[in-house]
Amino acid sequence: MTREEVLKDIQTKFGEVIIEVFDKSPKRAYIEIKPTAIVPVAKYIFRDLGARFNIASGVDAGTHIEILYHLTIESINLLISLRVKLDRENPAIDSLATSFEAANWIEREMHELLGIEFKGHPDMRRLLLSDQWPEGVYPLRQDYEEWDETAIRDRGV
Amino acid sequence: MGMKLKALLKSPWVFHLSTGSCNNCDIEVLDCLTPRFDIERFGMLLAGSIKHADVLLITGSCNRQSVERLKRMYEQVPKPCLVVAIGECAMSRGMFIHSYNCPVPLDKIIPVDAYIPGCPPKPEAILAGAVKLIQKVSGTA
Repeated sequence: MTREEVLKDIQTKFGEVIIEVFDKSPKRAYIEIKPTAIVPVAKYIFRDLGARFNIASGVDAGTHIEILYHLTIESINLLISLRVKLDRENPAIDSLATSFEAANWIEREMHELLGIEFKGHPDMRRLLLSDQWPEGVYPLRQDYEEWDETAIRDRGV
Repeated sequence: MGMKLKALLKSPWVFHLSTGSCNNCDIEVLDCLTPRFDIERFGMLLAGSIKHADVLLITGSCNRQSVERLKRMYEQVPKPCLVVAIGECAMSRGMFIHSYNCPVPLDKIIPVDAYIPGCPPKPEAILAGAVKLIQKVSGTA
């Protein structure tokens, strides 16, 4: 399939869950979808369109928490970024780790740095932060505040 | 300085320890060992195990995970030993000073004998630092 056919195919298959399609450049397209539909859409692009799962990236945008799932279809050189916007108070989304293994660690990372809950994740242990890090404190949230009393934040000069 | 410390300065074996650096300082440290800069002419040899080391070359900004390992390793070095902080990160954490993951600088964790500034320091700077450290300890400065 060509690039246009792929984008059209996704839009006809998942028209009711797609909020916005932003065709940024010949290499890149952003598709915003409803968070409840992430598993079937990502699975379809991964399995049926033969995409490769690059990475997912999460960001706290202040009003909401956003996740971008980056999937590359290498045969047509197209990077599709699936965008979901989650509620900031209680961010939760279905896990993709059961659909493809590569999503496992990045979901664990987003869970501990941004506090996103991935429902159905098989192994949600701590990945990067140290064991002393308190539960429920998420360092990449916009409202993160220093909790460590012993931290030294000056250069001593 | 004690007799022991002076004796080991004839051939200080160094151990290279990264506490979460970006690898640039580590590359410069490795450069020092190449024939071009040849830190071996001062008797320095890279030790494979920390239990053989006399001098610790520490790079990186001491993040929360590696600080635990750093303390554990420092306990294993045969004393007396010298500690050299290489690069901006090991000195004051550089640009990571406000990072949630780098709470305390290196010299508040273990005693540091020499600081080599730079981001990364040139091999020449590392050599100069090493020579100054030897001179200071042996009292020939």
